Amino acid sequence: MKRYRLLLLLMIAALLPLANAASGPSVRASLVWIRQAPPGVAVLAGYFTLQNLTDTPLTLTAVESRDFGSVEIHRSFVKDGVEEMEPVPSIAIPAHGSIEFKPGSYHLMMMQPKKNLFAGDMAEVTLTFSDGSQLAILAPVRHDPPAH
Amino acid sequence: MKFKTVLPFAGLFVLAIAAGIVTGRLVFQSRHAPSRPQTAALLLHDARPLPEFTLTSTDDKPFTKQSLTGHWSFLYFGYTHCPDACPTTLSALDHMMASLAKAAKAPKPAVYFVSVDPKRDDPTLLRNYALYFNPDFVGATGSLDALRALTGPLGVEFSYTPASQQGNYSVNHSSFVVLVDKQGEEVAVFDPPLDPRRMSSDYLNILKYYGETW
Repeated sequence: MKRYRLLLLLMIAALLPLANAASGPSVRASLVWIRQAPPGVAVLAGYFTLQNLTDTPLTLTAVESRDFGSVEIHRSFVKDGVEEMEPVPSIAIPAHGSIEFKPGSYHLMMMQPKKNLFAGDMAEVTLTFSDGSQLAILAPVRHDPPAH
Repeated sequence: MKFKTVLPFAGLFVLAIAAGIVTGRLVFQSRHAPSRPQTAALLLHDARPLPEFTLTSTDDKPFTKQSLTGHWSFLYFGYTHCPDACPTTLSALDHMMASLAKAAKAPKPAVYFVSVDPKRDDPTLLRNYALYFNPDFVGATGSLDALRALTGPLGVEFSYTPASQQGNYSVNHSSFVVLVDKQGEEVAVFDPPLDPRRMSSDYLNILKYYGETW
C-alpha cells in the first residue's frame, strides 16, 4: 500500500512540470526597475515592459507589493506645457502585444515604502491580470533605467 | 615724374582701404557675432529680467533675485511627492552637469529645484531630495504668494488635484526648465524630453552668444 502511494506521488510529481507548461505564464515582464529616490520620500516610481504571450487580450487589474503601503498604476503626460498625472484603474495588453511603463508615461506609483530602498535593493511586486493569473516579479531599485 | 608723385598716394589709399576693412570687421563682429545659435531650447529674443521675489533655499539662505546674479542658473519647478516627471528632469540635469564637466573651464551653472508644494515639502525633505540628484543642487520654496511672485512672471503654472481619501494629491506643474543668465535675466526655456548632452551644448552655445568666454 505504502509503495503504491509513493508511486502515485512520483507520478504526480512527474506530471507537474507538464501541467505548468500547459497553463504557462500569460505575461512576461522585462526591463523592470524602480527609480531610487532620496531617503524619506513618500512615493517611488516603478517601470517595466509587459508582454502578453497569449492569443487573447489581457488586462492588468491590480498591482501589490509587500514592500509598499499601496501601489497604483498612474500615467504622466504633458498638456499645454503642464506636467500632469492621473490614476489608471487598469490597462489592456493586446494579444501577443506589449505595453511599456516608462518615465513620462505609464508608471507604478509606489507609495509609503516600508523601508528606505537603495540602488541594488529588490522589491517584490505582484501583478494580477483579468484571466486571474498572477505574476510575481522582483524589481531592482536603480539610479538609471536598465539598458535596452 | 608724374608716376613718382602718384605712388605714395596709391600706397596710402591701399592702407586706408585695409584699415577700413579691419575696423569694419571689428565693429561688425562686436555688434553681431557670434550669430544666434541653433538650439533645441527656446532661446528668448530678448532676455527678460526676473521679478523681485523672496523664497527660502535649503541652504538656509533667502532665495531672491540677487541669489541668481553672478552666475548662470537653471530653475525647475516641481515637488518631492512626484515619482516620475521630477526625478526624470532632475536626473537629466545631473547628467547635463556631468557632460558640462568635460568643458572644464566653462562657467558652471547653479541648479535650483523650486517646490510648488510647500504644504508637504519641508526644508529637510527638500534638501535631501535636491542633494540626492546632485550634491550641488539647491532646493527652495516659500508661501504660495511668495512662489507666485516668481512663477507668475515666468509663466510657470501649478495647481493641485483633489486629495484622495488617504489625503494624497498630486501637483500639476509646468514641465519646462528655465535658464537664467548672470544678470538674473531669463534667457531660454528647455522643454522635455530633455537630452542632457543637447542641453549641455545648448548651454555652452547660449553662453557664447551672450559673450561669455572661458
